[in-house]
Amino acid sequence: MRWNGRTRCALVCICFVLLFSAFSFRLVYLQLVKHDEYAGLAAEKHVYKQPIYAERGVITDANGEILAHNIPVEIVVADTSHLTKEKVAEAVALLSQELKLDPDELSEKLGSDRHYIVLKRDMPTSAADALRTKLREQDLHGIYFEHDAARLYLNGSMLCHVIGFTDFDHKGIQGVEASMDEYLRGQDGYRYIEHDRAGQEIVLYRGQERAARDGYQVHLGIDLNLQNIVENEIDAAVREYSPQKATIILMRPQTGEILAMANRPAFDLNQRNTAKPEQMKNRAVIDMMEPGSTFKIVTAAAALNEKKVRPDTTIFCENGVWNYGGRTLHDHRPYGELSVQNILVKSSNIGAAKLALSLGDQKFYEYIRRFGFGERTGVELPGEINGTIRPPQNWSKISITRIPMGHEVAVTPLQMTVAMATIANGGKLVTPRVVKSITTAEGKTVSEFSPSVVRQVILPETAKQIGNALRGVVSDRGTAAAAAVPGFVIAGKTGTAQKVDPHGGYERGKYVVSFIGFLPADHPEFVGLVVLDDAKTSKPELNYGGLVAGPIFSRIAEKAARYLDLAPQPDLIKPTAPGRVASTGASRH
Amino acid sequence: MRRSTQLNRLNAASLARWVVMTALLAVAGLSYVYLTLQLHWLGDRQKALETTLAGLRKQNDVANVQIAALTSRSALQRRLKEGYLKMVPITDQNIVRLAPIHPAPEENAIRPVANDQVGK
Repeated sequence: MRWNGRTRCALVCICFVLLFSAFSFRLVYLQLVKHDEYAGLAAEKHVYKQPIYAERGVITDANGEILAHNIPVEIVVADTSHLTKEKVAEAVALLSQELKLDPDELSEKLGSDRHYIVLKRDMPTSAADALRTKLREQDLHGIYFEHDAARLYLNGSMLCHVIGFTDFDHKGIQGVEASMDEYLRGQDGYRYIEHDRAGQEIVLYRGQERAARDGYQVHLGIDLNLQNIVENEIDAAVREYSPQKATIILMRPQTGEILAMANRPAFDLNQRNTAKPEQMKNRAVIDMMEPGSTFKIVTAAAALNEKKVRPDTTIFCENGVWNYGGRTLHDHRPYGELSVQNILVKSSNIGAAKLALSLGDQKFYEYIRRFGFGERTGVELPGEINGTIRPPQNWSKISITRIPMGHEVAVTPLQMTVAMATIANGGKLVTPRVVKSITTAEGKTVSEFSPSVVRQVILPETAKQIGNALRGVVSDRGTAAAAAVPGFVIAGKTGTAQKVDPHGGYERGKYVVSFIGFLPADHPEFVGLVVLDDAKTSKPELNYGGLVAGPIFSRIAEKAARYLDLAPQPDLIKPTAPGRVASTGASRH
Repeated sequence: MRRSTQLNRLNAASLARWVVMTALLAVAGLSYVYLTLQLHWLGDRQKALETTLAGLRKQNDVANVQIAALTSRSALQRRLKEGYLKMVPITDQNIVRLAPIHPAPEENAIRPVANDQVGK
């Protein structure tokens, strides 16, 4: 082979061709074959999915008054890799003062090599701005601020058990905040962004984006004006009687709307970290109690509905002492013949027991269950319990005489309210509702809760008969004259049950006193329940439902009637005779 | 001499074509760079405006919450208690009394509404 100029030139050309072919192949390999892999790696370095946080929905009362709102705050975080060692001491000095943190603890945190340390949450934006300026002035890097929102409860402890609260991750963990979390939470959006070496976003390379959907607004059926009346009265009751626990519920019987619900002890929703577990319980739905004589409405309704008796049927009440199943049952007074109506008015235990016996175990149990006892009411409040209703096969021989007067059963205050609402609502059992509607922030309705009739428990005429009988309870003849509201006819029933000892048996001298009633008796606008657990009265003989819970109901009902603009009947407006209660208050019923 | 003159003679039309093409390419390149920079600048402006808007929204939210807090029931009641607010009493002709005023009860008598004042 001759190495002339032409050959050498061809050889050089071939070399170049081979070289550039190799480069081209490599380029094609990198650009096509390895594209996804390297694009992914590059994206990891520069592209990230920036979350766009949805705002949690507000909670309002029936009139649109805001109960729970969001306030913008900032989270102070540190990335120690951006903080030089010489600057740590300076940062500790500034941050410990500004964030009110322990300098030693802070020094330890900033001395570590972690990239994400939360220093303080819920920092007001104005304070964060001031700190930001100081950091800039002192040329301190590695301290960053993240936007966040804190939940603010505008009325402190009012309605605390119903509203509930969220955790630091904005997840509802109690009350409506928990039960409606799905709606309140909203849906976070995102945006793919690229940033430069300094961490600044390159807007030009903004990628796919999905806007956040803010949480829906939840409107409660609770009216804050009525709630205020109830809260004031329950506070007054706590001051006067120092009960261990207290619950008051107001409910509209036709729709099942809860108009007010208050429990004591309570807690401030904005100071929930300092609250004790006992204060956080919504006793209206998670506490069981023996209802006492208020349960007699179920017994009488069942017997009347089954046509075993009529309202005027008389039953011999054994002059106050009756031996049954080897045990003696007492009435608080020696009654002879009493009509079914008067069994309720006088609250005769023996009469109620005989009514239940006329029904038989199975039928009586059936009615108890039909009134909703032993199952959750379905109210939108978390943690609701079933109560305890044992089936007849687990009853003792005397159970049929004890259950009719509200012993050997455990019910929640809300279950008892719903049962009375069934009487007030012509025998229809309605699901209680705390939430009225759910809307978007713009006011578009997402969901509306209409009244939900569960079942017709008793015939309308039976409900009317019971209602008529219960009017007598709130009269001079009955056990709850003190529950009367001048100008209105009230139907109601008192209850006084000895407190169940958690170790077995009953606690001597401790009672759960209650009153449950509705107003006006003819066309009820609301049903109210007042329960005080272990109220302390000046004299033990004054610790009765009619004397303690009755007057509380009276005051609430009167104020509520004024607020709801219910027209009083002029012929019923008469002064209440002082001392009237003393003559009728000897009954523990 | 004649040969070299012939060799170095420029083709004016061709040169002009090249110059125009190069100029066009240069203008296109510079425009590309300029427009890219403009896009970056506008992106930065957009980001700055978004930040301003977010700041204003935040201020608005804070103001809304402050208004809601100051006009909340508990705040108004507190201010009423402290004497910052006064309530105008309703005149007699506008009052509908459900419960007429009772005569003073006897000493130690049990009254049905024992704590009427306490709850107010």
